[in-house]
Amino acid sequence: MPADAATAAVVRPAGPALEMAGIGKRFPGVLALENVDLTLEPGKVHALMGENGAGKSTLIKILAGVYQRDAGTVRIGGAEADLRSPRDALRAGIKVVFQEIALISEFTVAENIFLEEYPVNGLGSIRWSTIRKEAAALFARLGFDVDPAAKVGQLPVSQQQMVEIARALAHEARIVVMDEPTSSLTPNEVALLFTVIRRLTGLGIAVLYVTHKLDEVFEIADTVTVLRDGRHISTRPIGAHTHESLIQDMIGRKIDNLFPRERGAARGDVVVKVEGLSTDKLKDVSFEAKAGEVLGFFGLMGAGRTELAKAIVGFDPIRTGRISIGGTPLVPHNTRTGVALGIGLLTEDRKSEGLMLELPVLQNTSLAALEDFARAGFVDEGRERSAVQQFVDRFRVKTPSLNQQIKNLSGGNQQKVLLARWLMRGLKVIVVDEPTRGIDVGAKSEIFALIDRLAGEGLAVIMMTSEMPELLGLSDRIAVMAEGRITAVMDREGATQEAILNAAIA
Amino acid sequence: MPQSPSLSAAAGPKRPTELLRALFRRNETVLLVCLVALIVFFSFASGTFLTTRNITNVLGQASLAMIAGIGIGVVVLAGEIDVSIGSLVGAVGIPLVVVMNQTGSLELGMAAALLLALGVGVANGYLAAYLGINSLIVTLGTMFVIRGGIYLYTGQRAISDDLQLESFYQMGNGRLLGTVPYPALVALVLLVAFVYLMRHRPFGRQIYAVGGNPEVARLAGYNVKRLKFAAFVICSLLAGISGILLSSRLGSAVHVAGLGFEFQVVAAVVLGGVSLAGGVGSLLGVALGVLILAFLSNGLGMLNIATEWQLVITGLIIIAAVAFDELKRRRQ
Repeated sequence: MPADAATAAVVRPAGPALEMAGIGKRFPGVLALENVDLTLEPGKVHALMGENGAGKSTLIKILAGVYQRDAGTVRIGGAEADLRSPRDALRAGIKVVFQEIALISEFTVAENIFLEEYPVNGLGSIRWSTIRKEAAALFARLGFDVDPAAKVGQLPVSQQQMVEIARALAHEARIVVMDEPTSSLTPNEVALLFTVIRRLTGLGIAVLYVTHKLDEVFEIADTVTVLRDGRHISTRPIGAHTHESLIQDMIGRKIDNLFPRERGAARGDVVVKVEGLSTDKLKDVSFEAKAGEVLGFFGLMGAGRTELAKAIVGFDPIRTGRISIGGTPLVPHNTRTGVALGIGLLTEDRKSEGLMLELPVLQNTSLAALEDFARAGFVDEGRERSAVQQFVDRFRVKTPSLNQQIKNLSGGNQQKVLLARWLMRGLKVIVVDEPTRGIDVGAKSEIFALIDRLAGEGLAVIMMTSEMPELLGLSDRIAVMAEGRITAVMDREGATQEAILNAAIA
Repeated sequence: MPQSPSLSAAAGPKRPTELLRALFRRNETVLLVCLVALIVFFSFASGTFLTTRNITNVLGQASLAMIAGIGIGVVVLAGEIDVSIGSLVGAVGIPLVVVMNQTGSLELGMAAALLLALGVGVANGYLAAYLGINSLIVTLGTMFVIRGGIYLYTGQRAISDDLQLESFYQMGNGRLLGTVPYPALVALVLLVAFVYLMRHRPFGRQIYAVGGNPEVARLAGYNVKRLKFAAFVICSLLAGISGILLSSRLGSAVHVAGLGFEFQVVAAVVLGGVSLAGGVGSLLGVALGVLILAFLSNGLGMLNIATEWQLVITGLIIIAAVAFDELKRRRQ
């Protein structure tokens, strides 16, 4: 077998391939990493685990030369390394395969593999024949069958990933980092990926496998490091772990009392009914939400929460299924109908999909309800102002005036403005997607109290979240999603973190 | 070893029909067919169209847009735009003629003209690539500044060439063996050189990569800013060469030379299949786009179609071509 022959030829250096010690990284207002250690051995798969926000991404971006560390040392093959740019990382033999595939989609597979350094002849012309031959040889060595002459943009994601891995080999990388590599793969493709990973380790390459999927870790990893809140929690051989002990390490904390619940156990009428909803990402999703309840949707990255949120408000097209709001079907399927029926979305991405950053609080708040203030087609600014002022007072939005540009407000206050925008319309249902992303802890509890109050006033709240405490603290019922499906629905009382995570991993 | 799940991608085209289909998927083939169809149509429609004289005339006229189009092609492939070339084409005539008049040297005049072009390229490139100002705005600005500068310097009059050098006249008006206009030869040489550069040199591929996805290019270790800067400099220098040839044809530095030229060239580049989003298209396509527009305008003229209608027809053809391209892309 060619792979075995290649394995034999590799000289294995003694000692670790990579040693990161005491790594620290601070962003404005956030300590993303604090005193994190990580050691990779050649020929081994090391899993890096943690919940969203644990610091996994920051750590690998430091390895990729995208971020600069603030503290700590990095040693590669025993020698100290300074990774100041992606180029430095590549030269040091580190190849990071990001979730967002980093290939030029208009180029062929072969050309993408040699993007960093085109082989040239004495005159400086690119040796295309070498590129084609070496690409084909690499694929043969890795044992998969991708046409080197195909355009990358026309390949499925799984094959694009293989191209990225082949690229690592072309540059003789000694350390390959994979960031959530299976998030968009089918089970068959995952099996193939694992075969490839074993070939890589057979070549003496150290693999850092970043994931939150437990089953994969038990299948492929030799060692597991768990991060939580930017800190190193544990590093153990996989044999020393059980599912339970890994989940314990990942969650670790108790749910504190951020969640003052004041509303009663509301049981109103069903206002949202979704039946057999399917899109490109969602498969046969059905659920109901009642007036006065908070229905929490939990799921790991790529589970389809945001896609569901956008589909049920009419923003994204659906393939099949029925959505009705207050008994009326959402037809035609667009946001205009959605708003008319009383469903609104508080988006995950405030900056690009929610706020008009340069405009003042006033216009940002009244946007969805402008028609209500119109007289003979002109907006009556007096009515607009007084209505906005009411909401600003009621939600305790901290702003010097209604004329303040929204970009100067804190994340928490921006979120309140966006909530006010929808409530001015007199909604029946609000869908909130990651309502506290990028908001500091103090403001979080205010947003939670607001959501609690809105539900108490009879609104149906559908909350998409990847934050376990938020989910457990606010929801009346919990729906868990995995790979575009709802895998479990449970009442708040019956829900445990373990049960939820198990359903999310399924 | 367990059988790996198959990841087979479509194998390369084998049978002749597939080869033909693959050929027709290429934008350049479609453009070439259009060009040939256009020439055939006008040959039948007008008795004077298909003569050596007329065809070589069109090639001579098209070469100025071709040379500038190569430069615009490079800038657009890098994901930027330059609309200042029309003003620049007009401006380089001034140092050219003034220096020639004073020194009696064509070479020094050309050097002065190219130096001006270089300066404009450096300014555009610095503002757009390094300061990160939107290139449409930067070059719209330099377009006005340069044109204003021309009017100020010339007092809105043409500057005549007092030296009347034969070599200067020949450059834009002479013909190799009495048939092929020299500007067409210059355009051909530059086209071959730049097609080679963009296809077979790492620099050219890096320009494509930067236009295709700057973030990926950065992760691959490219200096994205420097590559974009280089594209602007190349574009201005090529516009400079185009402007020198134009001066030779006009026999003087004309203050209104090159007015509207930038959009004529951008239209040809877009018609040639270069995406304004960057990273997609080829210089061969650009050349075909320039030739199609040149033959179209010439042919319509021969059929005595009024200039007004020529403009309308050209505009409709550009929109139709780009719409067709977009639909084709969506189908894939």
